[in-house]
Amino acid sequence: MRKLTTRDLTTIAIFGAIWGALEMTLGSYLHVIFPPVTTPLVGTGTVMTAIGMIVALIGYLFVPRAGAVLMIGVVAAILKALSISGARLSPMLAIIIECLLAELGLLLARRPGPWGFALAGALALVWTFFHKFFGSYVFLGKDITKVYLGLLKQGSQALGIDVSLALVIIAAFLLIRVIAGGVAGWLAWELGRAVRGRLAR
Amino acid sequence: MVGLGVGAGGARAAGQVAREQVRKGAGGARATMRMHGEWTQVERQALSVWGYLSFLVGAVAMAMLAPGPRVFVVLGLVVSFCALFCAGSLRLLRQRQFWLLIASALLLSPFFIGEKDVTLWGLRLSQQGFWAGLWMTARALTMGLAFNGFASRISVAELATLLEGAGLRGLGFALGVAFNVLPIIQQSAADAYTAMRLRGGFRRERFSALKKLLVTIVAGSLRRGEEIVDAAEARAFDPARPQGQMARPTHADVLLAFALLCGGLAILLPQFCHLCS
Repeated sequence: MRKLTTRDLTTIAIFGAIWGALEMTLGSYLHVIFPPVTTPLVGTGTVMTAIGMIVALIGYLFVPRAGAVLMIGVVAAILKALSISGARLSPMLAIIIECLLAELGLLLARRPGPWGFALAGALALVWTFFHKFFGSYVFLGKDITKVYLGLLKQGSQALGIDVSLALVIIAAFLLIRVIAGGVAGWLAWELGRAVRGRLAR
Repeated sequence: MVGLGVGAGGARAAGQVAREQVRKGAGGARATMRMHGEWTQVERQALSVWGYLSFLVGAVAMAMLAPGPRVFVVLGLVVSFCALFCAGSLRLLRQRQFWLLIASALLLSPFFIGEKDVTLWGLRLSQQGFWAGLWMTARALTMGLAFNGFASRISVAELATLLEGAGLRGLGFALGVAFNVLPIIQQSAADAYTAMRLRGGFRRERFSALKKLLVTIVAGSLRRGEEIVDAAEARAFDPARPQGQMARPTHADVLLAFALLCGGLAILLPQFCHLCS
């Protein structure tokens, strides 16, 4: 495999900077306006991951190499970490894991295309559900069972169904993320092509 | 942060890592600089990047594993370390946004965590939620300060060298460029948004307007990227060449790592003994 050129690295840096800028501005404000406990079904993290994936996958269109999305994510995570309000480990780790999952999606899709991008986006967004458990246990020291029960309770209230329908609630949580990720991937493909068209003018 | 001339940004980023290595003296003398690459001060200090890294890893691990009230011991240790070695990082405590995040975790937990067993001013609250929120807040504070301490003492170039040492070649250059283009991207995004808003771009078909805005920002940034590539290539930058050497751990780094290990064991051991019995 060919090594990354100066152009590739610059493109990665630019897309990482765009994602980082969005995390530092839009992400920080959204986290303050909508704290995680008040948005059980789709939180700020999910929205920001979808936006970040759009940026990272457009970047992949310009640097179609394995590891490009991960590098964009690492740059974005470091920029966020070194910003005034972003010195938190949990979102940094989430960004990196999501990028790894997106890389897996792109690897499975083999060729860049709308469906491959949708798969990558969906896989990345699914992590936002599991990160709730991971983050609560690792960073906040909460009991996973309690997190799960709390999630079911909040989900049942948001969906207006009984708590006993746990599978339906979990499926709804995952389905929302898969659809959001798929749409983000598809949008990335469309936007990437639009950017190419603009640059070709 | 101050924006640099875009054309020179990439080349400056490329040379930044090497310049810092050259300016490093023997015996732990270290030069610190701002994000935009301007030399601010050269100071002699005992801890190297390894010391700050072990502090970060130790603090985060202890904050995650320390049970209940012992998190405050870890918080105390982290605050002391920050005050002694990276006082600038305590500026985080002056950020209103940071306290808003902390307060939201503390105030909302009694409403959302655990069984509501207390009534205060007519509000049904959970005692368990209050304590959980308090420990959560202490953990968040500890990790936030530790991370800020690490970030305030480690320059972009050192971080880049560290990452390159871990096998992520090219990331140092990418990080340098990203830091340099960040203020330019933010400014051009704000300009594009204002221009579109003044032309009534967001009154109708908001989604289409957002799409146009993103395309404009990305296309504009990539055009600027071409200038960075030209500047870097003109200065014979080669991403395949190692950008700097890893600093060797100093005696103080080893001592700090040992102290963190002992401190961590002292805080966590009673908990493990309790679990075993």
